[in-house]
Amino acid sequence: MPLPDPDGVPLFAERPEWADVLPLEQYEDVNPIAPIFYTEEYKAATNYFRAIVKAGEKSPRVMELTESVIRQNPAHYSAWQYRYETLTFLLASTTSDSTPKGALPPLLAAELTLMDELAVQFLKTYQVWHHRRLLVSLTKQPSRELALIKRSLEVDSKNYHTWSYRQWLLSSFYGADENGREQDDDDEGETIEAREVWEAELDFVDTMLAQDVRNNSAWHHRFFVVFHSGGTEHEAEKERIFKRELVYAKQSISLAPSNPSAWNYLRGILTHTRTPFATLETFVKPYTVAQKSAGDAEKRDIVDLDNPPPSAEAELPCVQALEFLADIFETQGASEPGKENTEKAVELWKSLANQYDTIRKKYWEYRIREAHHGKEPRT
Amino acid sequence: MSDPSSQLSPLLRAGHVAHCRRCLNGLPASQTDVDASRLALSFYCIGSLDLLGVLEEQVSVKDRKSWAQWLWEQHARGKYGSGFRPSPFMTAKHLSESQKELEYTDYDTPHIIMTYTALISLAILRDDFSRLDREGLLQFISACQREDGSFSTVPGSNESDLRTLYCAFAISSMLNDWSGVDVPRALAFVATCRTYEGGYGQSPFCEAQGGTTYIAIASLQLAPATGAESETLTPLERQATIRWLLDNQDKSGGFSGRTGKDADACYCFWCGAALKILGAGHLVNSAALAMFLSRCQFKYGGIAKSPGENPDPYHTYLSLAALSMYPPEASATGTYSASWNFAPLDPLLNAKEETALWIRQHIPAARI
Repeated sequence: MPLPDPDGVPLFAERPEWADVLPLEQYEDVNPIAPIFYTEEYKAATNYFRAIVKAGEKSPRVMELTESVIRQNPAHYSAWQYRYETLTFLLASTTSDSTPKGALPPLLAAELTLMDELAVQFLKTYQVWHHRRLLVSLTKQPSRELALIKRSLEVDSKNYHTWSYRQWLLSSFYGADENGREQDDDDEGETIEAREVWEAELDFVDTMLAQDVRNNSAWHHRFFVVFHSGGTEHEAEKERIFKRELVYAKQSISLAPSNPSAWNYLRGILTHTRTPFATLETFVKPYTVAQKSAGDAEKRDIVDLDNPPPSAEAELPCVQALEFLADIFETQGASEPGKENTEKAVELWKSLANQYDTIRKKYWEYRIREAHHGKEPRT
Repeated sequence: MSDPSSQLSPLLRAGHVAHCRRCLNGLPASQTDVDASRLALSFYCIGSLDLLGVLEEQVSVKDRKSWAQWLWEQHARGKYGSGFRPSPFMTAKHLSESQKELEYTDYDTPHIIMTYTALISLAILRDDFSRLDREGLLQFISACQREDGSFSTVPGSNESDLRTLYCAFAISSMLNDWSGVDVPRALAFVATCRTYEGGYGQSPFCEAQGGTTYIAIASLQLAPATGAESETLTPLERQATIRWLLDNQDKSGGFSGRTGKDADACYCFWCGAALKILGAGHLVNSAALAMFLSRCQFKYGGIAKSPGENPDPYHTYLSLAALSMYPPEASATGTYSASWNFAPLDPLLNAKEETALWIRQHIPAARI
């Protein structure tokens, strides 16, 4: 029975159905640190809550009481904990004959409806998401949850709790084991379902990145979907996926070059597949020089999927490209007797330190010192 | 740097002291969501006063004693061992007056994050820890560790992430006793939280985030040597983490918590402290950092997450802690240099060095 906001609802002390409970006031020392000047409503609800917990009562009215506490303080983890225990107790004690086969028990369905509302209202509270995890472990209906998160991300596209919950759902219900194989792969139906879910997930990431190519949460999620779904063990398939992701990252960079999320993704997939950065030298170079007008414009007409050029309006050179190219030169220089490429890297770092990325001046100067001292290159 | 635009305004020390004292005196009803984490808020306030160096001069001995007394009121023993509860939010008056030493129930247990903050707060107040139940504390930490190596906030809960793991590690380090923790299992969990960006997410598969990256790096550093492979970063991993952390300092001078997000004062601490632990503190642009934090100050005291926002003890404490590690150079502070002066901070325990020393001297069990 969802309640409206506590305002306007009589205090528990004034309600006959609670007359049998003796409320327990909060203990507080004479000299408390940072006491909270609670509202009368909160005091009343928590006084009754303490009494109910002490009595060990797990009845339908406890659902109403804990909802009242939670609405006033969504971080009250004891109220959440007791609510969950009461819910499972009530579910176990109600006969399931009246519930149609396949449908959720009404109590659980009502809880989900309420949680859909609270998830939006208290988006940044840990407990809201924690409770959802417990509920979906009861319902075993992750697809309903994936749909909800999709709506929730439309409101706040970078919310950490929401994304974490999605990653937890996918890995828990459709995840791969340590050997990269999908769980339950003796059950063909579930394997097919899992594959479809991961495919749909990639479409979902595409949509999120199309809306905002700088959404790092979406980029991170892409990496998770592509490399942690345990999709394949076949080398040829792995190669195809890697190439696809490489094109995707390059295309994204071409549209918006100064986007650290896309560059981090590019570095991520290269490192993950142990591909040398130097394989991307041709792609990166146009991003490391100032825009030229005439000749470049013609080049842009040629569609080169491997080396998409920067867009005409891009602000160049781009810091991330300079850093990337310097990494390539540093690695090449390390094995040369004359260290010609090391010096090329140093020139790029100097331009970063003094012109293009001055906030990190100390870092670029440090890179120069490290390279001159012959430290291990990093790629 | 003689450019007047690069000259820092003063750090409003008196205002920040006043902000913390106001919060210690009481919080409005709009802050009711702090009910289940009041000890953490108390730590941010008392910790700020410690960093500002005013506890002895400006807070009476009587007040300091009564704060310590309240903190000890939250100490509880029971079937999962001993630790500190967030506040008396679940403790009933009737029970407590007659039976103060009554065991806690399953709904009123100690909380691992609160226990960590209570120990530091008490050390700041120079408590002698003669009341600390060390065996019980080890039992409590052990009761919080889960199958996957992570730690729950309270025993038996499913709520767990890297934050709680750090608290278990910090407490073990303070006790100088790791018998309450399965270290290799915990470190294996830390490793699963690492991402391709070089930072760490809050749980496995989650996006790299500044706060949890500090947590991971500090935990790796606190851990005793076990010979496990997950114990140390490879040189390439270390470089990738340093790169990612430094990349989070944006043009405003502040640090963001994730790639592409806006700077937030608290990440000046989380990213800054992680860099310090990694031995890369000298690469931080401390002048820009101080400039950003000076703009986060609220004119009536307290520091906010970003310029123009409302202040709170959490952002106030972490900003002051960041400045304790990265004090701006005298050339940038000019006439106001005294206001920007701080005693050094121990980035591993997140306490003033002097306080960390007190912890090391008073929390471990006396060796016979």
